[in-house]
Amino acid sequence: MKLTAKQLTLCALLTAMALALSYLENLFPLSLAIPVPGVKLGLANIVTLFALYALGPGEALLILLARCLLGALFAGNMNALIFSLLGGLSAMGTMILLSRRRGLSVYGVSVGGAAAHNCGQIAAALLTLGSAAPLYYLPILLAVSLLTGGLTGLASACLFQGLRHTDLMKG
Amino acid sequence: MKPSPKLRPTVWDGLVVLCVAALAVGVAFFQWRGGTTEALTAVVSVDGTEADRFAPADLLEAPRTYENNGYTLEVALSIDYEHPASSALPSSGESGLRVARSDCPTQDCVHTGTISRSGQSIVCLPARIIIRLEGGTPEDGGVDAILG
Repeated sequence: MKLTAKQLTLCALLTAMALALSYLENLFPLSLAIPVPGVKLGLANIVTLFALYALGPGEALLILLARCLLGALFAGNMNALIFSLLGGLSAMGTMILLSRRRGLSVYGVSVGGAAAHNCGQIAAALLTLGSAAPLYYLPILLAVSLLTGGLTGLASACLFQGLRHTDLMKG
Repeated sequence: MKPSPKLRPTVWDGLVVLCVAALAVGVAFFQWRGGTTEALTAVVSVDGTEADRFAPADLLEAPRTYENNGYTLEVALSIDYEHPASSALPSSGESGLRVARSDCPTQDCVHTGTISRSGQSIVCLPARIIIRLEGGTPEDGGVDAILG
């Protein structure tokens, strides 16, 4: 995959934005309202969704991998890497597939991605903890993903609307 | 030029929502089923290996402490002080087990609060410790209330 200077710059910018959004949502932990491990707004998914449509799957995957790796490094918690990677890759794979369905809007793609992210994180918990106990939380996380996926879908729709007439959406 | 994404919800989005909801209900059906006829028991797993198993009533004597991966958790009996007469061992209401203290960075285990029914668990990912309630039914004959 060859990247132009413009695409590379945009990837770096979006990675920085995704990291900033991840940090920002840690300041408002959703787990205080919904006390379930791993529950979060998933604001960084806005960036992934935007990159998927504006740049393409390859670039979106690069941004995701950079965000996961740098996020774990900055947090000084490499144990969290498997959670963010499995969650992020599950969400990315699902969103790539769903974005190819012509009938779906960013809302459907976002909800599917949020649900897949939670499934990926539960899979990481199953692997890490060696117990099926985390499956207990999956129904709650899936229900929450309907809300968080809808919200990130709304934010993405507003973003696409605002940038519709710029070069960014023209590849 | 890449295709522009649809920005308004469609009927197909509703199908995605239904699929996610159906998956949630399906997993809940299998995961949240009632307990067995055995007495309610708390099972503590550390790094995927069972480390302790006790009747919740044992916590009346003293909280239990578990250490792993550099973190320490204190598991205590959770009593509903608003309704002390109905505060019971984990079988109903808001009374049950909780992680009273933890020095893990996320504090998710503390925020999880009280678990009181079979199948419920408290997971501390940084410490890799799981406290899970097994067995027990509403009719399992557990202590109904702590008086005095």
